[in-house]
Amino acid sequence: MADGKSNVQAGFEPGQLRRMTCQGWISLAGWIVFGLLIEGLIGFRAPALMDDPVRREMFRLAHAHGTLLNLVLIAAAICARLGLIRLGRSTALGLRTAVIILPAGFLLAGLWHFKDDPGVAIFLVPLGALLLLATAFRIGLSGCSG
Amino acid sequence: MLNPRFRPALATALFVLIAIALVAGAIRFTAPNYAGVRAGRMDAGYLESNDCRKCHEGNYATWHLTFHRTMTREANPETVLGDFDRQNTLTYQGVRTEMIRKNGSYWMKFTGVDGKSQELAIDHTVGSRRIQQYLTKNGDQWVRLPIAYDLVQHRWMHLNGSFFYPDDSDYRQHVTEWNSNCVFCHNVKAQPHLNWEDRTWNTEVAELGIACGACHGPAGQHAQLALSPMTRYLWHVKAAGAPSVAVTNPAKLDSDRSAMVCGHCHGQRLPEPRERIRSMMSDGDPFDPGKNLLEFYRPVQREDKIGPVSFASRFWSDGSPRLTAYEYQGMTRSACYRAGKPGQRITCISCHEMHGGDPRGQLTEKMKTNAACTQCHQQFATPAQLVEHTKHQAESSGSLCYNCHMPSIVYGVMSAHRTHDITIPRPEETVRFDKPNACNLCHLDWSVNRAIAESQRLWPIAFRESAKGDSRFDEPEGTRALFAADAVTRTLTAAAMTPANESTAPLLLEAMQDRYPIVRYFTANALAAGYPALPKPDYLAEAEKRNATLRTWYPFFEPERLRAAKTARERLSANRVEVDVEVGE
Repeated sequence: MADGKSNVQAGFEPGQLRRMTCQGWISLAGWIVFGLLIEGLIGFRAPALMDDPVRREMFRLAHAHGTLLNLVLIAAAICARLGLIRLGRSTALGLRTAVIILPAGFLLAGLWHFKDDPGVAIFLVPLGALLLLATAFRIGLSGCSG
Repeated sequence: MLNPRFRPALATALFVLIAIALVAGAIRFTAPNYAGVRAGRMDAGYLESNDCRKCHEGNYATWHLTFHRTMTREANPETVLGDFDRQNTLTYQGVRTEMIRKNGSYWMKFTGVDGKSQELAIDHTVGSRRIQQYLTKNGDQWVRLPIAYDLVQHRWMHLNGSFFYPDDSDYRQHVTEWNSNCVFCHNVKAQPHLNWEDRTWNTEVAELGIACGACHGPAGQHAQLALSPMTRYLWHVKAAGAPSVAVTNPAKLDSDRSAMVCGHCHGQRLPEPRERIRSMMSDGDPFDPGKNLLEFYRPVQREDKIGPVSFASRFWSDGSPRLTAYEYQGMTRSACYRAGKPGQRITCISCHEMHGGDPRGQLTEKMKTNAACTQCHQQFATPAQLVEHTKHQAESSGSLCYNCHMPSIVYGVMSAHRTHDITIPRPEETVRFDKPNACNLCHLDWSVNRAIAESQRLWPIAFRESAKGDSRFDEPEGTRALFAADAVTRTLTAAAMTPANESTAPLLLEAMQDRYPIVRYFTANALAAGYPALPKPDYLAEAEKRNATLRTWYPFFEPERLRAAKTARERLSANRVEVDVEVGE
């Protein structure tokens, strides 16, 4: 098993890995709170959610992506710490940005939306998805080349 | 040679581009061709409601609740609402009809007075709110059967009981052809496809029932454009230079064009010019929502005729419609319409809501109140202003705008309906036009002449020129209208007497002798509503059976009142002139 040296060599400091882990856990906590909110709104049949199919769909997607992607972020930080993958500065930044803007796109597009379409914030989603795709591929490449 | 430092970045960029290309290719490969739907046909571009649902889930859901949706459907266990299992027989004019369910299919077995039987398969259903009618297929023709199911009274009925014809009318009178009649308004974009040479039909519609296309027209181009999210968001933000939305929204049309969307069906019409009937039958209905209805049709008016057939009996003699499906004619006669600026005046959706509210009438709770009128007539918004105007207590039925300005003087589908000819209530119109007036529909025990006098006392300026009628109009109007007027007025009067009470019940018991089953229908309902513990007379039964039921009622009423009612009927009905009315819904 490799130590954290390889990441340091790749220009990624352990402090940055910690920040990445922190971001993952704090965001995860935030999305869990959001999940509780959705459950509460559904449980108490809140019209703001129940009578608004676009908002329900967007919030559901925001919650699912928010929790899952932050778990991915934490997993990436752990893998990097263990030396299983290499996380370059730009890759890490891309990943950290993607896990924020992708679920945020769903959330904001559900908060303010048009009658039968999500709000314009939905355009953050494909942007985040492309960023996530690129970082996933880069991380994959780094793992293979290591 | 490429610097090895850039290789991962290049590989990533290439991978992302390939991924984008794959996704884009998949989207393109699976994209539907809405713009080409039914290309080359008269209903080109008309989508089905399920296509619209993909984007307009909310509007689909509200439409799904309506009776428009269920107007015409294929017959199956989900759509057939008649009782085919228990109370499944009807004998009328000696013909016994048995309603049969066989392995999920539905049949009517007719056994005539001669004992001969005929079984006909039910292919489609028409209607789902008040009555459900049934169509059978005869080769390339769909034919309406004479027996229908009354969804309100939960019983089978003969269609003679729904129209204004007397008991001895032809049993098959209402057996009509669907392909050339009902198809036009009970479905989307009808195309009868009649071959005039060999008289064969190949009838098609864009969708069965009254679905999205009926009001929004062809939406293929719209749906095609809407496949692109960029286009949709340009529409949402109303960006300059955004492509046309390419679909009709009645709420965004000018008021006159908007009314024409509804008037296409809620305003019986004749092709204009008349010769257009040929292309209508061979090709289909030329009207699309958003177009000028009057380029293709002329709304039927009282003076219209087709050959010897006059439409006069469908209107009161002042030209105001007295049947449903003439709401467009009613509204466009109204001062509310005529006084408005073309394109910016009252229209159907000023009050009605197609995507919300109560499906029974398509009205929101708010629009069932005076709020409908005070949208414009703000001067009657407060209780004090209302009482000053109506001279009735603010919370009473006499202060509900509808009751006086849109009284229930229209018949349609076994119900009394509010007229859409919004007028000032003038009791003298009963004298002049033999048309029921709003005052006497409540004050049934008043004579018309008394109503005229009261209106002159309460509103001396407005009614100063009202002229009283002769001695006939000194009779209590409920009694006079129930016995002396024609069948439509008698029907509406019986409806106004619902529920019966001790003063109206003796009159209604006499009205059960009426020769017109539709009058007896309303009469029996009024009696049953007032006296639910007593056996309800069967309005379609033979006279002997009806009378046997009525005899059980007489002991509950004062003999003097019963005698007076009988005398009134005999006296008032002796010289009445009967006018049979063809109802076209």
